[in-house]
Amino acid sequence: AQDYTLRFNHVLGPSEPYHQGFTQWAERVAERSDGRLKIDVFHSAQLGVEEDIIEQMRQGANVGQNTDAARLGNYVPSIAVVNGPYFAESLEDVAKLADTPSMQAWQEELAKDHGLKVVCFDWVQGYRHFFTNTPITAPDDLDGLRIRTPPAPIWQESISALGAAPTAMAFGDMYPGLQQRAIDGVELVYNNIPAGRFYEVLSHVSETGHIMLVNFQVVSNAWFEGLPEDLQAILVEECKTAGQETSAAILESEQKVKADLVAKGMTVVEGVDMAAFRAAGENAYEALNLGDARRQVLSEMGKE
Amino acid sequence: MLIVALTFVFLLVIGMPVAFAIAISGATYFLQHPELPLTIPVQVTVSQTQNFALLAVPLFIIAGNFLNHSGITERLLTLASVLTGRLRGGLAQVSLTLSALMGGVSGSAIADAAMQSRMIGEAMVNRGMSRGFVAGVLSFGSILTPLIPPGIGMILYGTIGQVSIGRLFAAGIVPALLLWLALAVTVSLTARRRGYPAERDTRPTAREFTQALRGGIFALLFPVILLLGLRMGVFTPSEIGAFAVIYAIFVGIAIHRKLNRASFIEAVEGSLADVGAIMFLIALSAIFTYGIVLDRVPEVVSRWILSLTDNLHLVMVLVVLIVIAAGLLVDATVLIIMLTPIFLPLARQLGADPVHFGIVFIVAATIGNFTPPVGAAMYAVCSIIKVGVGSYSRESLPFILAVTLVALVLVFVPGVVLFLPEALFAR
Amino acid sequence: MRQLHQWLGRLEAVVAGSFLLTMVVLIFIGGIARLLRVPQNWTIDIATCLFAWACFLAADIAWRRDALMSIDLLTARLSPALRRGLATVNLCLIAGFLAYVIWAGIRLSWVSRARSFQGIPEISYALVTMSLPAGAALLLMTTGFKLYDLWSRDNRPGPGGKVA
Ligand code: NA
Ligand code: NA
Repeated sequence: AQDYTLRFNHVLGPSEPYHQGFTQWAERVAERSDGRLKIDVFHSAQLGVEEDIIEQMRQGANVGQNTDAARLGNYVPSIAVVNGPYFAESLEDVAKLADTPSMQAWQEELAKDHGLKVVCFDWVQGYRHFFTNTPITAPDDLDGLRIRTPPAPIWQESISALGAAPTAMAFGDMYPGLQQRAIDGVELVYNNIPAGRFYEVLSHVSETGHIMLVNFQVVSNAWFEGLPEDLQAILVEECKTAGQETSAAILESEQKVKADLVAKGMTVVEGVDMAAFRAAGENAYEALNLGDARRQVLSEMGKE
Repeated sequence: MLIVALTFVFLLVIGMPVAFAIAISGATYFLQHPELPLTIPVQVTVSQTQNFALLAVPLFIIAGNFLNHSGITERLLTLASVLTGRLRGGLAQVSLTLSALMGGVSGSAIADAAMQSRMIGEAMVNRGMSRGFVAGVLSFGSILTPLIPPGIGMILYGTIGQVSIGRLFAAGIVPALLLWLALAVTVSLTARRRGYPAERDTRPTAREFTQALRGGIFALLFPVILLLGLRMGVFTPSEIGAFAVIYAIFVGIAIHRKLNRASFIEAVEGSLADVGAIMFLIALSAIFTYGIVLDRVPEVVSRWILSLTDNLHLVMVLVVLIVIAAGLLVDATVLIIMLTPIFLPLARQLGADPVHFGIVFIVAATIGNFTPPVGAAMYAVCSIIKVGVGSYSRESLPFILAVTLVALVLVFVPGVVLFLPEALFAR
Repeated sequence: MRQLHQWLGRLEAVVAGSFLLTMVVLIFIGGIARLLRVPQNWTIDIATCLFAWACFLAADIAWRRDALMSIDLLTARLSPALRRGLATVNLCLIAGFLAYVIWAGIRLSWVSRARSFQGIPEISYALVTMSLPAGAALLLMTTGFKLYDLWSRDNRPGPGGKVA
């Protein structure tokens, strides 16, 4: 039988839980397919920039990428709604999201019109919080603070809706940026903080949980269609299993990471006004023209 | 990758410009892999120009050109000759000092080497030093830049390997001073052997000294302002590059009154050829690197090391030699990204201190920027100084021996690296 | 034809030079704006876009002036005829490579025209990608003139196609 290889790229470092998760996925796929399907995992964006890899997939290359809804929104705008503030709020929400007709239609559109096959999106990096050097309890506290965001309008709009001044910066520039006070804070998940040693340059964490970061495992649709059906099934099923395990492990480990950070001298801010942040977050959807998409998916999930 | 490497060497030997040789040999990898879209070489090349960190390189090249045309360089040289005129090959010593000063501003050896070559390269040649020697000093001197904080290499290593960047920064300083000493001794030995003359044989008078100091004040203020700007958190390194350009233009027009329309255009035109030659090469090298990553060349090497020995010191020495050898073909940034996840776990497993290992590793990786046939700092310097890679290589031999020797000292005397971070950061 | 080439040379110098200076100003403004706590993210976006164009236009400026580095250790010792032969091989390989870059660059710009630049929906990344095939077209033209000069003028071939 013919052998297949997928080169899977992600931007996180080798010590992040995601990398272990992708390696698990690769091991199980190799095992279940008797080595007919091999996943080669590349960390730290070794294969290239996320946007470049996505374009390679669209041309049929055997590459894959861990990406987010904001980037997929370049191709199917509505899907970006998943990246909005206070959208999915638990692993159960993410599971429900997968069954909504809207999400299925958008994935269909990604595959048919843009050549991008979403293998699964059961990967959750955790809740994004604000990490700063001053306590943040309400949107007003963020006024004038330069918070780093990934360089994409949806992030900038969301962060600006929450009250801060979004400052686009690459992941690797954050540490020196904070050290040199070019930015006043970051919004990340707990696991990024020890991995990037940000506790050396930041003192406060305000648990706003403003975005639950859902990641998408995407491959070339043409390549996926070329796989025998049994291998397609193995790839998707093991993606889901590894993703759910990794996400659960990350959410569990957050408490431990948090305790470690407190031991290293960080302060967890008490009394964050969640209602105020939620209300502020809603403005982002209207500004991004995603209000309808949001209401539609939430009603399909039975949330509103 | 073997075909790629052989093609590359062949194209170099028949005298093809390195930028094209690297790109064409790298492209042969894609001919061997029909499953890869043939647009990838174009894509990865363009992507290099979208990297904000790399913007610092052209900016410091432009700054160097403007400093040359704004009268700063001449005044700095006057001061340098007063200060070090009685040393043999005095300007070469000054360039080392300047690298250390620039180290507090720039995180990139390549940017520093390019800027200094523009600023004082010709003046060094005019003092009777051979072009190969001048290029060697300017190139290897820039090894101090990434080791004195801030340094791009330390940030990359610390992030990828989960090592304290604060400790790494502190750990770089003493080794940088040691490297400075080793390079200074090498320069003075060569200068003595070659009989490079001292520029003056009388001790400068106090009046001469103060005059030179006053003349050079804007040059001396330059690194201080940049350093303060960075330390006070005013600018990021790329912005510091932009600030340097604007400072040079301001001083040239308003204070030294030396920069006019003609010399302004001259500075821009000079920058264009420099930026073109250097950035084109850096951009195209992404085609070559693609196959190295895909074939996981570094991992094969690591497995091979462990089959030889599991003694920590021997492994570190081997790593230094391997990194220097790999550095012949690959530049520091790429080496650090690719090799940290392979060598650091190896070192940790054998009981190394990650900060100690990191500094040794970064020193060895940085050497890759200076060694032929591929080295960005080397190309920057050689193309600005207008010297062939052949004579550069011959005259750089003492320098590469000196820095390799220091790297080995760092392996066997961890205290040199760890003394400062341990004093500054209580465990 | 040669006049057009010379005119293009002046044009590319003016364009690349203004792009580099604009880059300096934009990055500086970006820093100042952030210092004043009104971060302007577009400054970096435009700067990196200009950077791509400046890079590849400047590459042709460097190629015209023979400022691209090459290793002349071995070729310097060969006979003039052999050197001319090698220079011809070099220039032909380079021309072939540049033609491929132009083809692949245009193709990539077209197939990925939907990709947005820095996530800004209205601006296509093709605007950046096109900088390479455009630069390669200029480089190809320069390479053609180098080949022509190599065989038509007095025989003064140098290494790496250095003819002047
Ligand atoms: Na530095
Ligand atoms: Na090298």
